Amino acid sequence: MSDVIDSGTAQARDVDATPSDAPPRPTLEQLKERKARTRQRLETGGDIMTISMGPQHPSTHGVFQMVLDLDGEVIVDLRPEIGNLHRGVEKLCEHRTYHQIIPLTDRLDYNSAFAMNHGFCEAAEKLMGVEVPARARYIRTIAHELSRLANHILWLGVHIMDLGTQTFFVICFRDREYLLDLFEMLTGARLTHSFARIGGVAKDLPDGFEQRCRKVIEFLPKRIAEYERIVKHNRIYYKRAKDVGIFTSEDCYAWRVTGPTLRAAGVARDLRKDEPYAAYDEIDFEVAVEYNADVYDRFLVRMTEMRESCKIIRQCLDGLPDGPYVARDAAHSLPMKRDVLRDSAAMIQDFYQVFRGPQAPKGEVYRAVEVPKGEMGVYIRSEGGAKPARVRFTTPSFYHGQAMPALAVGEMVSDLVAIFASVDVVLGDSDK
Amino acid sequence: MSAARFVQPPRPAGSSTKRDRTAVRAATSLAPTLATAAAKLRRRFGARLLEEEESFGELTFVIAPGDWMRVLAFCKSAPDLGFDQLDCLMGDHLPERADTPFAVLAHLTSHTHAHRLRVKTFLPEGGSLPTVTGLWPSAGFDERETWEMFGVVFQGHPDLRRLLTAEDFEGFPLRKDFPLEGIVGGRVRTELRGKI
Repeated sequence: MSDVIDSGTAQARDVDATPSDAPPRPTLEQLKERKARTRQRLETGGDIMTISMGPQHPSTHGVFQMVLDLDGEVIVDLRPEIGNLHRGVEKLCEHRTYHQIIPLTDRLDYNSAFAMNHGFCEAAEKLMGVEVPARARYIRTIAHELSRLANHILWLGVHIMDLGTQTFFVICFRDREYLLDLFEMLTGARLTHSFARIGGVAKDLPDGFEQRCRKVIEFLPKRIAEYERIVKHNRIYYKRAKDVGIFTSEDCYAWRVTGPTLRAAGVARDLRKDEPYAAYDEIDFEVAVEYNADVYDRFLVRMTEMRESCKIIRQCLDGLPDGPYVARDAAHSLPMKRDVLRDSAAMIQDFYQVFRGPQAPKGEVYRAVEVPKGEMGVYIRSEGGAKPARVRFTTPSFYHGQAMPALAVGEMVSDLVAIFASVDVVLGDSDK
Repeated sequence: MSAARFVQPPRPAGSSTKRDRTAVRAATSLAPTLATAAAKLRRRFGARLLEEEESFGELTFVIAPGDWMRVLAFCKSAPDLGFDQLDCLMGDHLPERADTPFAVLAHLTSHTHAHRLRVKTFLPEGGSLPTVTGLWPSAGFDERETWEMFGVVFQGHPDLRRLLTAEDFEGFPLRKDFPLEGIVGGRVRTELRGKI
């Protein structure tokens, strides 16, 4: 990188074109060959050094440990170790009613808590056959996209900080504040919202929310353009990210890597389009796709996704229907809070739901939704009654962390931080 | 780096951005590609598919543990099935089934045909299955988790260690007889610290 700094500011500022002094980009075949060659070196027995990266390393974004076998600076083997944050969420779920599980899902991926709430509620609604009213579907879509924005902005700041810039992290945190303030206004909490309910959401949009949300949505695309001005054509970032951590679509399928990483490999897979839920099938938006499957393209995909999220929220606010914000389904949903002290039927329903819980039928369902990090699936087996018999959260970070050997073997150890951040792993999500 | 980087791939014919919501909701029958895939599975395995269940728009096949590898390999390789992604492999404990209380479920997804399938098998106490890490490497963590939580052994797994709990933890926490609180049935063997 020093050559970039030494080459003078005038040249460094000319950033739109690929630097002319850069060596020609290796082709995908060459990169795969390089990976295979370094894998072979392990068997031929070079001078291998084993070091542990994490669980307290700043670039692991939590308590993720990678045991690295290094040949010089090249990674020849990597063993991911997770589980330091295991809280037994799935066991706890078996002892709680469906309503009581919602706060637990917040703690899975705490950067995009609403998306997790939403995924669980979609699965529970599929099991119970609850029809979500239109207004609730739109509010859910808004909150889901706000959490996507908050997640991607945080991801961007942390990713760039891993590559050595401190200031940009603060810029991203400043803009994330606006989103967290919106969440605070909407749900009363900044991080762990527990806002989704079976059959709808907990509250209606508060007064003044729409206006404030529109303000943020108008202003964020300008910020995203600013991020791109700082990062996208930055030579240092370009050199650190381009052709690093190649992960093709076949690799993604094999390792169940989903979300932006899969879309950066040229696959237009997005459950918001493919298996629509909430109001996504009534909204016009594009799926962000890039084709080079490297760290740089994952960044581009997330930038496009943030712009699309702003578009989605704007459309939801424009077309927000009137009506109840939670289903009128006495057997499965909580009533609207404002009715509880005025309507005796609603009060009975509230008592029933709080003390006995929703009465689910017997059966098993699997429902996947597109959370900011990838596809999250929820499996529920019910034997009837208010508590599930088995819940399994198929969380994206679990598989993204597992795929680290396939992503990083053959790369340089200094690129490992860029690669690890680019697949977006949160340890609450992976350790359950 | 070219200027026009963002190229939206062409949308397949017949799909629009706005779908008829009622049609999606009312569709209880299986997608045509999945019906074809199920017919092909039935033709290939016949009576070895012990049970078939269709509920909530999802299709489940129950097979014997001995057929686990064969059926899943067929699911992955047969062109009409094309299940190129293992979405989730998980265990389950059903104590009411006296002989075979453990279940292992594989949720498969096809990117080619955009359909999903669930394959299930029941195992006795101490039962084992062959590993499917050779078909889908993503099964590695899933099988480790299933082993540590339920005690189902996966033969041939490259690295069958405890994943989420400590290495010296005893007991299988997601079994129904494992208590939610207290230390009964599960303890951390601290005397093994440093030796594992």
